Amino acid sequence: MAHVFRLPDIGEGLDEAEIVEWFVAVGDVVVRDQALVEVLTDKASSELPSPVAGTVMSLGAAEGVRLRVGEVLIEIDDGSTTPEARPAEAPASASGPVTASPGTPAFRPKAAPATRRLALQSGVDLATVNGTGPGGRITADDVRNAGTPLAAPPPEPSAGRMPTPVDAGSSTPSTLGQMPTGRHALRGLRGVVARNMVQAWTEIPHIHTMDELDASLLVDFRTRIRSMDRPGAAQVTPLAIAAVAAARALRRFPMVNGHVEGHPGDAIVIPESVNLGIAMATERGLVVPVVHDADVLDLFAMADRIASLAAAARTGDLTTADLAGATFTITNYGSLGGRFATPIIPPGQGAILGLGAVAERPVAVDGEVLARPTLPVVLGADHRLIDGDLAEAFRRAVVDDLTEPLHLLVGG
Amino acid sequence: MLQAINEALHGEMARDERVVVLGEDVGHVGGVFRATEGLFEKFGAARVVDTPLAEGVIVGSAVGLAMAGLVPVAEIQFLGFSYQAMHQIAGQVARLRYRSQGRFEPAITIRAPFGGGVRTPEMHSDSLEGQLANIPGLKVVTPATAADAKGLLAAAVRDPDPVMFLEPLRGYRGIRGDVPDGDHVVPLGAARTARQGDDLVIIAWSYQVELACRVADSLAEEGLSVAVLDLRSLVPLDIEAIAAAVDRCGRVVVVEEASQTGGFAGEVVATIVEECFWSLEAPVVRVSGFDVPYPVGMLEDTFVPDEARIAAAVRRTLETA
Amino acid sequence: MVEARTQAGRLWNLQRQGQVGTLAPIDGHEAVVAATAHALDPEHDWILPQYREPLALQRFGPEVLEQYMLYNIGHPDGSRLPPSVRVAPLQISLATQIPHAVGLAWGMTLQDEPGVVTVFFGDGSSSEGDFHEAANLAGVLKAPVILLCVNNQWAISTPLHQQTAAETLADRAIGYGMPGVRVDGNDAAAMFDAVDEARQRALDGGGPTLIEAVVYRLGAHTTADDPTRYVPAEDLEAARRDDPIQRLTDHLTDLGRWDDEARSEVETVAMARIDEAFERAINQTLAPDAVLDHCFATDTTRMARQRAALLDGAR
Repeated sequence: MAHVFRLPDIGEGLDEAEIVEWFVAVGDVVVRDQALVEVLTDKASSELPSPVAGTVMSLGAAEGVRLRVGEVLIEIDDGSTTPEARPAEAPASASGPVTASPGTPAFRPKAAPATRRLALQSGVDLATVNGTGPGGRITADDVRNAGTPLAAPPPEPSAGRMPTPVDAGSSTPSTLGQMPTGRHALRGLRGVVARNMVQAWTEIPHIHTMDELDASLLVDFRTRIRSMDRPGAAQVTPLAIAAVAAARALRRFPMVNGHVEGHPGDAIVIPESVNLGIAMATERGLVVPVVHDADVLDLFAMADRIASLAAAARTGDLTTADLAGATFTITNYGSLGGRFATPIIPPGQGAILGLGAVAERPVAVDGEVLARPTLPVVLGADHRLIDGDLAEAFRRAVVDDLTEPLHLLVGG
Repeated sequence: MLQAINEALHGEMARDERVVVLGEDVGHVGGVFRATEGLFEKFGAARVVDTPLAEGVIVGSAVGLAMAGLVPVAEIQFLGFSYQAMHQIAGQVARLRYRSQGRFEPAITIRAPFGGGVRTPEMHSDSLEGQLANIPGLKVVTPATAADAKGLLAAAVRDPDPVMFLEPLRGYRGIRGDVPDGDHVVPLGAARTARQGDDLVIIAWSYQVELACRVADSLAEEGLSVAVLDLRSLVPLDIEAIAAAVDRCGRVVVVEEASQTGGFAGEVVATIVEECFWSLEAPVVRVSGFDVPYPVGMLEDTFVPDEARIAAAVRRTLETA
Repeated sequence: MVEARTQAGRLWNLQRQGQVGTLAPIDGHEAVVAATAHALDPEHDWILPQYREPLALQRFGPEVLEQYMLYNIGHPDGSRLPPSVRVAPLQISLATQIPHAVGLAWGMTLQDEPGVVTVFFGDGSSSEGDFHEAANLAGVLKAPVILLCVNNQWAISTPLHQQTAAETLADRAIGYGMPGVRVDGNDAAAMFDAVDEARQRALDGGGPTLIEAVVYRLGAHTTADDPTRYVPAEDLEAARRDDPIQRLTDHLTDLGRWDDEARSEVETVAMARIDEAFERAINQTLAPDAVLDHCFATDTTRMARQRAALLDGAR
């Protein structure tokens, strides 16, 4: 077994030495501490003694050659089985007390740390907020007044940043529709909304198919469920029922769950999971959290999940995961009032279901005009992927389930 | 404050016969500021020693006394003259425990006055606390009240580690207050809330605490709620107290007499950034001396942060959106 | 003395093999240090070394060698001596140990502890301010301290006549009000007598003594030094003829108390002891957070966090 003797640093910070003269040759038998070689450094000329006894196997360099510290000086067969002797080394140093410094992205909105935390907790992207502080700095009030936060996770540009299709830019009643006369640069929140709208509208050829269904049974169904003495019953809303219906329909018609990639279009993607984005209005604006794998949830589970997401949305505790991965969106524009609308499909999806306001309206029943609660419903669809007949069939499937909610129990 | 210091020394010498006081003029005269008055008469020449004029050996022999198991309390007449002993302070006092791997207990206290505003000659007012704080193994303590002077000095003498006990020159006669009788110990490493407040906290030590409190009081009349945190110990630093104060207020002004670059206020700001970044509503502002040697008498008032400068910094920080 | 020289030789080789750090060889100083150690009482007397002495101080305990080996491989335990051993840690910062010695001696008298403190330093150190301040204070306090200046003629490459204009280093004692004694440091018996007398004076309350032990540095200043660049060859030759080990060898041989066999035996035992000590030293464990130990009695908040982070990283 060879003992490898590497050139040590014998002079406090030397990095090389020149071989002046070898005192031994290959094959020589040497004893411990026997002088092996004379080396010359910047500081001194020194003899290096052998660390072990044995037979010289090889010399690391010829006379006149400069060796660097750590390079092999000589190999000696010392007959042992242990690996080369290590000089006493300091233990590997763990990193010392260092505070990490994150890299800075190219564009940084200016805001105080406390404001940043507020924005983080509110789910507001500072890049979308108009700063009214000095030098365009974003103040805490700016964050609180901020309109639409992101529907999709900010770091994924390909996922699209689609704030709510219809309700983009919801503002507090006092500021609704208010803007001083003159020309304003289109930036901040409005700028982001503008860009997203243009992308969706130019890249996705929309068709909309609308209908109004008799919601009597739906209302009755819901009333009876809510009167059940069962935990979670109170959370069952028409929205939750519609979500279950939509999920069933998406399983029936997987293409409606899909989307087109590229513009005008390179590929059609049909995902494995059904993830429903549920548009919600909160104090801080509109958010669209996602119910993942919605098709395996029964009505109560769906209602519970939607309620949890709504609660989190209200307190600003939605995570990036909560906002990611939607394959289809439901927007309850009826909550603002309104009967018919043409919701815009979020880029990265293929269709969107809009629910209008439930209200008493005239309905023809057996030749008579009666006042019944009705629910307007609209399906927006990407015509590259979904033709009129599919859109029609899908919407009808949802409408059938909402018209007679018992269908949700019997399947089919 | 001077009497409080004197009381503490009397108390500690009576309590522990291992305590030995040494320095220039500390014995017969009782110290050039009378801080050690009465000790010589009461405890004798063996325990209260007038040394030759040599800061190096005052500190170096204190190391030897500690090695012998005694508790030396050395005085350096003015902190600026500790430069003459710095090799013993930084290389020996601070490292005695480390170099002996715990064999020797360096229960050494070095007292020295510092700080300006009293028209001293050159080198008599220099603030070196930042430099001392950077010496590992050395504790640095700066009382701001008379009661704390007594309590912290008692704690320092009893501490098994070496302590630089820095007394505010201007405070000797300028700081007055109630001092508890008898045994009074204030633990090292615990800051003190000198004024409660919610809008902004002034972090200061030594004489600057007194000024900060005056500023806080006058701003209170305008309805501004300004807190004052007296660090008391720079090493060990009460990180939690700083974090709590900043979390509560969100705005901070740090005040020091020393020159700004490399001063201890920088350490405080770094600690705030590490601990309470998300609470900050405005940048942290330092009010410090200028980056020049401590100046002559006519320029002194410009150099040393006064109430006006502190108040201006406070207002600016409060007004930052 | 023979033990010291033998072991010093082995250590030199270890350094050249990259297994220990920078060393100051003891060659030429063996008599000064060993004789001093024998004139003192390990139970009561203290030794404050500089850095060249440990191998010849082994009379104060086998731990001296153990710790010296740990020190040389850079292990922190090398600085620790058990409470029963009255040898202070090595001091690299020249002359700083002299005020410590005065303080220690002073502290012992204040507590009525019998014993004297002997502090080693070189001719170069006697130029440092700490020497003068300490000597002065020692005189004033009448401290029971022996200021042992080992004048080996060289402070790295500075010869004595460039170090001071004084005729002798012992003369400095006059300025500080204490006796100054000049001794041939290569004469082990003379060294013993000089230290013994100084010790007696100190114990009797007579105060400090400055001893100038005159020797010649037969080796390099340290392993990083090449003395052939500045030490005149003839001077070194002459000094070698005055080798302290040789002188005592000749003297004892004449008395029939020593021979080659005796020498060989001492050398063999010495080598075995240092080999064992080295083996133990390189196998000494080192905790991952050892770097934070013994700064303060207890960790500050920040140090506690640093320690936790270190231990976390080690897991």
